Amino acid sequence: MDRLKRILYIFLPIVFFLFVFVLDVVNRSYRIEEEAVRYTREFLIVTAFLLLYLFMESTGKRYNRGSAKEIGRLLVGCIAVLGWIGVNTLFPAARFVEQEGAFVPFSATTILFSEILCIAVGIFSIRMVLSIRTLVMTKPKRGTKRMFAFLLIAVLLSSGAALPFIPVDIAVVGSIAFGAGIVLSILNSFKQNWIVYLSRREKIYTIVYSLLLFLGFVGLNIVLNERTFLRSSLEYFSVPLSRFVQLNAIFGGVYFGMSLFSTLFHLPTAEVYERKQFELSSLHNLSRLINQVFDFHDLVNTVTQMTLEVVGAKSAWLELVQEEKGEGERPLHVVSRKNISQEEIEIFNRAAGNALRQVVLDSKKVLSIDNVATDRRTKELKRSDLPVGSLLTVPLLSHGELIGFLHATKDFAGGFDQDDIEVLTTFCDNVTIAIENSKLIVRSIERERLQQEMMVAQQMQRRLLPQSLPVYENVEIAAISEPSLEVGGDYFDFVRIDDEKLGVVVGDVSGKGVSAAFYMAEVKGIFQSLSKVYPMPKEMLIHANETLLGSLERKAFISMVYGIIDTKRGILYYSRAGHCPPIYLSDGTSELLRPNGLGLGLTNGRLFEKSTEERIIRLKTGDICVFYTDGLAEARNSSGVELGYEGLLEIAKDVKPSSAHDIKQHIWSEVRNYMGGSTYTDDMTLVVIKWLGTSARPA
Amino acid sequence: MSDFKIHEREGAGVSVLELKGYLDAHTAPELESAFQKLLSTKKYNIVVNCKDLSYISSAGLGVFMAFIEDVRKNRGDIKLTNMSPKVYNVFDLLGFPILYEIYKEEEEAVKRFNEVKHV
Repeated sequence: MDRLKRILYIFLPIVFFLFVFVLDVVNRSYRIEEEAVRYTREFLIVTAFLLLYLFMESTGKRYNRGSAKEIGRLLVGCIAVLGWIGVNTLFPAARFVEQEGAFVPFSATTILFSEILCIAVGIFSIRMVLSIRTLVMTKPKRGTKRMFAFLLIAVLLSSGAALPFIPVDIAVVGSIAFGAGIVLSILNSFKQNWIVYLSRREKIYTIVYSLLLFLGFVGLNIVLNERTFLRSSLEYFSVPLSRFVQLNAIFGGVYFGMSLFSTLFHLPTAEVYERKQFELSSLHNLSRLINQVFDFHDLVNTVTQMTLEVVGAKSAWLELVQEEKGEGERPLHVVSRKNISQEEIEIFNRAAGNALRQVVLDSKKVLSIDNVATDRRTKELKRSDLPVGSLLTVPLLSHGELIGFLHATKDFAGGFDQDDIEVLTTFCDNVTIAIENSKLIVRSIERERLQQEMMVAQQMQRRLLPQSLPVYENVEIAAISEPSLEVGGDYFDFVRIDDEKLGVVVGDVSGKGVSAAFYMAEVKGIFQSLSKVYPMPKEMLIHANETLLGSLERKAFISMVYGIIDTKRGILYYSRAGHCPPIYLSDGTSELLRPNGLGLGLTNGRLFEKSTEERIIRLKTGDICVFYTDGLAEARNSSGVELGYEGLLEIAKDVKPSSAHDIKQHIWSEVRNYMGGSTYTDDMTLVVIKWLGTSARPA
Repeated sequence: MSDFKIHEREGAGVSVLELKGYLDAHTAPELESAFQKLLSTKKYNIVVNCKDLSYISSAGLGVFMAFIEDVRKNRGDIKLTNMSPKVYNVFDLLGFPILYEIYKEEEEAVKRFNEVKHV
């Protein structure tokens, strides 16, 4: 449909023009002075141009060229038209003979030439109106469109007044409209906003184009006003068209004359404008900055790179306040730098940077040193050989708290104007957000990772503890171990040393988390293997200490109580390697067993051997031994008071003579009662051993 | 629970760290960095005053173990003073009195450092 329309727009005018041509040729020979013929002619011409206008408008809309290109094309049209006018003068046939005040074509060929020329000039005029309209409508103000519409009305009125059926006394309207058209042309010529948006290069082109167009239109005006072939042709072909072309030629001349001067005046500021535009697009790039938060390195790199671009700095660097340090000093760390070395930054800091940062910190505002050479704050910097003429230091503030500084320098004085300062401040606001987001992401990833690790460690810890309790005729054993929310280092285990001897171990690996779980695994391995090789507690612990010393990190150690029960004879051998003293209940007496002993992994073998005791208890029937970890002794009640070893001993004292399992339950629930609702912060492990006596063994 | 504070003092060639509050797995890094700072400035005569230390966990004890070797290698020492009975009990259970000099009063520890120096 659209295509059909456009074919009609082209095809019909051609047919109409041909018809007019034929009519004119016939008319020349036979002089038909019929009004109807003249009306038909004018009607066809006006309709044809109207259709051409519609065609040109619909095609013009599809291409949005730049303003400079637009007038470049117009210039080509102008040159073509003027060229064609020139070419016509070469033909002798292209002339009119004045007869009785009217122009009469010299021959039929003249009609052909003249009509082609008129159509060309008409099309060019329409083209010009459309072109100038797009220029005028760049960033229009409220009245812009109206003003241009008035001009068009004036042009059409002045042309329309020349239509053949218009009475002569009304035709005076045409003259008024023509005058108004000239005034409106001038007014519309002030709408030169498009020039502002041209790049420097485009402005230079525009100057040339405008100059040529201006000259072209002046030439066209001259040609139209002199007794030339063009003028005669237009008068002969269509007087309204003649008015139309004439007024447009004036408009074109005025408009492009004005363009020429505007562009000339804009040329010196072209660079500034280009920079502003670049700044704008750079700021627009900030959205990309926000997207880079996943890679901190990329992010800070972009920040300094953009600083160079945005304000045209020679060098730039970003320093951030380091986190994860204790209170007090918060050192700055240069995370990204451009065109400046770390050494130069240090020179800068010594000479001025530290003092300047303090100024920025106090004011919480951007600091601009316009001239390093004359500013008293940068005297030292001047003496250093750093190529710094002017500088900006912008604080990065997140919720009023300083997170870093962005520095930008130029190697000449007065390098940063107010715009630069404002742009860089805005930029820094965005940078702060991006950096904070980046940190948040890192933190949440870290948290996620730690949670994962914790889960793995907890599972590992659970699997390292015995899944079932050993069963003996003479000994009852009960055990419970409850890890805290975090992974702790509680460990208990049993080993069947031989048919008669059972090893029982309760230990605590220092620290928490994954490393504690790994040490626990190591301890289990050591215990399970060494206990069978060294059948006495102290001996085993000495060797365990030796083994662990080499593999534990310095700050890690393991406390442990190791008991061996001779299940046949009822003898308990035990040693305490820095662990909580076991509770021994016998015959209504209670006692904390506290032989000397050092934690494992603390010191070398000799000192360990010297300081660690081994004791023996000959068990009586019903004797109870309770091994536990500090989680129980250090349990706190709701007011934060610790249960303590004595407190735990008191609880243990109260147990009724019952099975190991019931004793375990009793102690456990009493400790939990003591704690009230508070969650335990440490692992708690409890192992209860009850000696049933040799008599329990069937004879 | 992170009520832990370290106050650092200097006097007579001895650095004194006053500990206050809870020293556990969460606060141990603070003590660690305090020791690191002393070592990086080559201060090896260290007295740790535990007067206001209300709790110490195994992770807290580990901090002392982490640095004692380096300190002694440089002919210095970490001496502990002014422990409450409860805190002393934790040190004692693990056998620390065998490994560290523990004094009732800070002055004694400082004096001890100075005696060694004069010899």
